[in-house]
Amino acid sequence: MKLFVIALAALLPCLAASSDADPGKSLGSPSAPIRIEVFSDFECPACKGLHEQVLPLVMKDYVIPGKAYVVSREFPLRMHQYSREAANYATAAARLGKYQQVADALFLNQAAWEVNGKVWDTVANVLTPAEAKKVQLLAKDPSVLSEVQRDVDAGMAAGINQTPTMFVTRGASRFPVTGVVNYNLLRSMLDGLLK
Amino acid sequence: MVSSSRVFRAVVLALRVALGAVFVYAAWTKLRQPWELFAMSIDAYKVLPYWAVVVVARTLPWAELAIGLVLMAGRWLRVSAGAASLLLLVFFVLMVRTYVKGMQIDCGCFGLGDTISPRTLARDGSLLAGYLFLTWTGFRDRRKAA
Repeated sequence: MKLFVIALAALLPCLAASSDADPGKSLGSPSAPIRIEVFSDFECPACKGLHEQVLPLVMKDYVIPGKAYVVSREFPLRMHQYSREAANYATAAARLGKYQQVADALFLNQAAWEVNGKVWDTVANVLTPAEAKKVQLLAKDPSVLSEVQRDVDAGMAAGINQTPTMFVTRGASRFPVTGVVNYNLLRSMLDGLLK
Repeated sequence: MVSSSRVFRAVVLALRVALGAVFVYAAWTKLRQPWELFAMSIDAYKVLPYWAVVVVARTLPWAELAIGLVLMAGRWLRVSAGAASLLLLVFFVLMVRTYVKGMQIDCGCFGLGDTISPRTLARDGSLLAGYLFLTWTGFRDRRKAA
């Protein structure tokens, strides 16, 4: 919920998001000096850790002050039975501006739906009935399915072999950062890049 | 006999230069990126406190560079090969421990994107055998000279 409120505040400048990033899945200003692309899998415990422990701090310290632009990318791993379905619903929800709420709910309830397979129930809980109906239709839309696949292809092309993986870009320099990182180290790195 | 001794010396020379280059390359992959990235790799092993992670991340790449260059130059073979063996032994034990515990993290050996797997364990195990062999030749040559 906290992440959602912070995300909402940072979402407004995304109306003019860059062409390769889904505006519904991006936070902050595209003109921010640092760009952080987060490739994650909704069924991966480390991605939950990054989403719940590290990203809210990145939002507060870098996205809201206009220093960083965060783009969420889907990277559902084959070993996870429901992660592709979850990615499809989240991407569909992004078309309605509800990506952060759905992502928060999916990570919060990960332990339940990864066992019982009730992904849709988790997603529907944070949507109005009208939104739920639209998201259910959109999740089967070829454009949504291809957007998820494009993220996966981009991740494969970038050599990702684990989730979560973030790519931190500042000018021509691009650095991969994997796992649930220590925020003190990430902050030190981001501050160093901003100097 | 003379011929086989020459072949042995040539093999040791080639191995020394190659394994020295491996350490130089390992150092280069870490020094060309922000030190925090290597620190994150070390931190992922969950064996050191934060202050030690910072100290190791800032100093180890320079130590690797120095050891690699000395090995390639062929100076102080017992010390340089011994130090390389000891370092790699520590890395290898940590990697095996991490793999056995089922933690999926980057090994931090040659920059990022190198998740600990049977392949990385086989690679580092082979390298360790090479450094131990060089250390043994260093001590053997000293005994011969004495």
